[in-house]
Amino acid sequence: MNTTIVKRSKTTEPYDDIKLMRSVYAACLAVRTPAGEAEITAKRVAKELEAWLEKKPEVTSHDIRIHIAESLHTYNPHAAYTYKHHGIVH
Amino acid sequence: MAKQKFDYDLIVLGSGGGGSVAALIAAGAGKRVAMIEPDELGGECPNYGCVPTKSLLHAAEIYDAAKRGQQFGIRSGTLSYNYPSLKAWKDLAVERTGATEGKRLYEAEGIKVIEGEARFISPHEITVNRRHLSAENFIIATGTHNAVPPIEGLDKTGYITFKEAVNLTRPPKSLFIVGAGSVGCEFAELFSVFGSKVYLADITPRILSKEDEEVSELVRDTFENERGMSVLTNTKVLRVAKEGLAKRVYFTRGATETSVKVDEVLIATGKLANVDIGLENAGVEYTPRGIQTNDFMQTTAKHIYAAGDVVGPYNYTHTAIYQSRIAANNIMSKQKVAADYRAVPRVIFLNPEVASVGLSEDECIKRDLPIKKAVAPIAIIGRANTSNAEQGFVKVITDRHGILIGASIVCPRAGEIIHELTLAIQMRMRASDVANTIHAFPTWSEAVRIACSKVAKM
Repeated sequence: MNTTIVKRSKTTEPYDDIKLMRSVYAACLAVRTPAGEAEITAKRVAKELEAWLEKKPEVTSHDIRIHIAESLHTYNPHAAYTYKHHGIVH
Repeated sequence: MAKQKFDYDLIVLGSGGGGSVAALIAAGAGKRVAMIEPDELGGECPNYGCVPTKSLLHAAEIYDAAKRGQQFGIRSGTLSYNYPSLKAWKDLAVERTGATEGKRLYEAEGIKVIEGEARFISPHEITVNRRHLSAENFIIATGTHNAVPPIEGLDKTGYITFKEAVNLTRPPKSLFIVGAGSVGCEFAELFSVFGSKVYLADITPRILSKEDEEVSELVRDTFENERGMSVLTNTKVLRVAKEGLAKRVYFTRGATETSVKVDEVLIATGKLANVDIGLENAGVEYTPRGIQTNDFMQTTAKHIYAAGDVVGPYNYTHTAIYQSRIAANNIMSKQKVAADYRAVPRVIFLNPEVASVGLSEDECIKRDLPIKKAVAPIAIIGRANTSNAEQGFVKVITDRHGILIGASIVCPRAGEIIHELTLAIQMRMRASDVANTIHAFPTWSEAVRIACSKVAKM
C-alpha cells in the first residue's frame, strides 16, 4: 500500500495499517467490546479501507477518519461513534 | 482575479461537456486554467456515450431501411452487415470528435491538462498524482459511473455496460438488458436490428417510464411487433448463473419466477455521481445522487462550482454544456446567471425517434397543474403518406392560458422537430402562435402545427 496520508498540518506520512488497526481496536475496547472481537473488527475495517485506498495515491487523515467511521458502523455502531467523535484518529 | 497566491485561477475536474466548456471560456478570458482528467479526455459522451451509440444506431437505421426498401420498389439481392466494419465506422466517428487529440488542442488554448485522479485536500487545494495544486475557483464535472444493482451471481457471471456494449466485435445472439430507460432502449434497438434476440426488463410497469404513457406504449408496441423483442415490465431480476458459455437469468414477473438463457447481460439501471473526490475536505455537500448546487451552479463551498452529470437533474451533454457555461460566467462575472430547465430537449434515438421537452403529463398531474393537451397522429399528415410511416404522434401540453409547457414526439426525425417546441416553451409562447405559423408541406413538422391547433381550440 503506497498511499500517503496528508495530515491536518499539511505534513505527510505513509499509510500505516498497524497504526490504523490499533486505533480501531482502541475504539472497540472503549465501548467494552471483547478483545478478540475488537481485533477481528480492526482487521476487517483495515481490509475494507485498503480496498478503497488501492487507486488513491494521497488522501487526508480526515478522509481516513470518515471512511473508517462508515466502515466500522457496519460492525460496531457504538465504536464508530466513539471513533468519529472522540479523537481516536490515524 | 489573478492572484498569485494560487497556482491557478480555475481548476476544472473532468474534461467532458461539464468541464471542458468552462475551461475553454475561462482560458479564452485570460485566466490560468488547469483541467484534470483521470480517464479518456472528452469524458463519456465522445468516448463511450452519445457519439459511439449514435453512430452505431445510424448504421442500424440504414440497415433497417434497406431491409424495408422493397415496399418502395428498391430491390437488394443479399443484404448483410459486417460488424467489425460497423465498429470501425464507430471508431472513425469517435476519432473525428477530436477527443483523442484533446490534450494538444486544449493546451493550444492555454489550458494545462493533467492526467490523474484529483482529490480535494483542503477547500482551495487538490492532490493529483501526489502533486498539490491550488486554485481560487474550482468546477467539479467528474460525471457518473454505472449503478450496478445487487443481483446475486452477477459479479461471477460477468456483465457488460454501455461502455463495453459499444465495443463488441459482434452482436450477441441473445441479450438480456436490465433497465428499460433511454440507454437500455437504445441498445435494445441497436442489437435487435442486427439480429440479437433481446429481452428488455424493467422493474417499473412500463418502459421509458419518465416519458408520457403514450410514448411508452408506442415504443413497446414497435419493440415487440417489429423488432421481435420480449419486453418484460414489472420484472425483478433475482439472480444470474453460468450455464456453459451462456448465462441464465432468473427473474420474477407478477408472482411467477422464470428464467431465460442468454449470451450476454447488459446492465442499464442508471448512474451514480462520482463524488469520491474528498468533497468533505472542501466543505462541499453531496449525496450519492450528486453534488448539491444552487441555481448558479455554486456548491455549498462558495468558490467551488459543479456542472454536468455529477449535478443532474439531467444526464445529457447539452445540459452539461449549458451548466458549464453558467458556472464559467458566474465565476468570472458579477452579473450572475441562473440555470433554467423549463425547456430541456430530451431525445432517445430509436426508430422512430422519441423526443420530449418541458413537463410530461405525469409531472403536471404531480404538480396539480390544470392543463390542456392534444395529440396529432402523424398518420394524418402528408409526409406519413409519402414515407409510408404511420406510427407516431405529436403531443403538446399547455397551461390553462394556452401557453406551451410540454411536448412529446414519436416520429421520424423527432430529435430535430422538438426544437421548434423547445423554442416555443423557452419563449413562453402560446400554442396558437405555433398553430398560426406556416409549416412546409409535406414535412413531419406539420403534425406539430396540427397538435398546437387542436389544443388552441380547447
